[in-house]
Amino acid sequence: MKLERLIGIVLRGGVMVSSACLAAGLLLSLVTGDGGVAGFLLNAGIIVLLATPLARVVVSTVQYVGERDWAFATLTFVVLLELIASAVAALVFNRKI
Amino acid sequence: MPAVTASLVLIIFAAGTIAGSLGALLGLGGGVFLVPFLNLVLGFPFSAAAAISLTTVIATSSTVSAGRAGKQLINMKLGMLLEVATAAGSFLGGVTAQFVSQSLLQRLFGFVAVIVAVIMLSRLRHRNVILDPAADPGVLGGRYHEAESGCTVSYRVKRLPLAIVASFVAGNVSSLLGIGGGIIKVPVLNAWCGVPLRAAAATSAFMIGVTATAGATIYYGHGQLQPALAAAACLGVQLGSWGGMKFGAAASSKWLKILMAAVLVIVSAMMFLRGGR
Repeated sequence: MKLERLIGIVLRGGVMVSSACLAAGLLLSLVTGDGGVAGFLLNAGIIVLLATPLARVVVSTVQYVGERDWAFATLTFVVLLELIASAVAALVFNRKI
Repeated sequence: MPAVTASLVLIIFAAGTIAGSLGALLGLGGGVFLVPFLNLVLGFPFSAAAAISLTTVIATSSTVSAGRAGKQLINMKLGMLLEVATAAGSFLGGVTAQFVSQSLLQRLFGFVAVIVAVIMLSRLRHRNVILDPAADPGVLGGRYHEAESGCTVSYRVKRLPLAIVASFVAGNVSSLLGIGGGIIKVPVLNAWCGVPLRAAAATSAFMIGVTATAGATIYYGHGQLQPALAAAACLGVQLGSWGGMKFGAAASSKWLKILMAAVLVIVSAMMFLRGGR
């Protein structure tokens, strides 16, 4: 499949899942408070939202490797590493590492 | 961290809707309006305002780019190359934001808000590059079908190092201040790097998702992102930008740009006043 279409599907899927989680979590949190299922849905929505551009970069890297386009495979892989670095920095600030 | 109440959720949802529709009408993200509202009007800590705004930037980028993918308007190769610089800038900005004071960030925001206002006013009449339809676009150039003129537009990318520097700065400012950074990238790509305005805007919107993710992840991990309020803002911005794009295309945006430039100058002054204390 062409990369552009694949990326379109990944982005659309990510937006739909995260928006659904955020909307459901938000409505539920107004009824039951922030904890429990509402908190889980809200955090899941945020994580899917953050993971969507990441997934788009992963898909691009895989596609470029498949096409043997090493220049762009390397570039997208570096972007992937930068996103992973910010996740690691987040864990460091959170004192999980 | 601000406490979540039903009325606060509604206020942020409404603010997101307004920021999103203004953003769509003006061709920029809504963050430059949302951040000062959350910080100055609602009194959120600057980092909490920036974190919420960055999540709306990601949502807008993904939504807009999903709709445009496959139409060749997004220059994916150029975007992915510049993402290396913009994500690095964003990562450094997100880390730096954890160590600098709120008043410094406010003054920086005031400074950037004035620049945004000046760029907006200087672009009241869109400039576009002169295009040769027969030109060979090369590896990084692009070719797309333009609906209005009915012809195929092709372009080459010039002055790539400049585009890389602009992307790094935009990424850095983006995660420090919670804005998308398109207002820096689009004029540079359009005026100096040979990318037609529509392609520059689409490519910038595409890249912004990755930029904002690098920054937002750091804020989220550090516990500066309130998920319920981010949800309200994201849903509001998506509703607003959908409405702005659907109903605002025909509206003349010249007076809106002048009005919003004035608003940004006021925002800038308020940020400097707060930041100076």
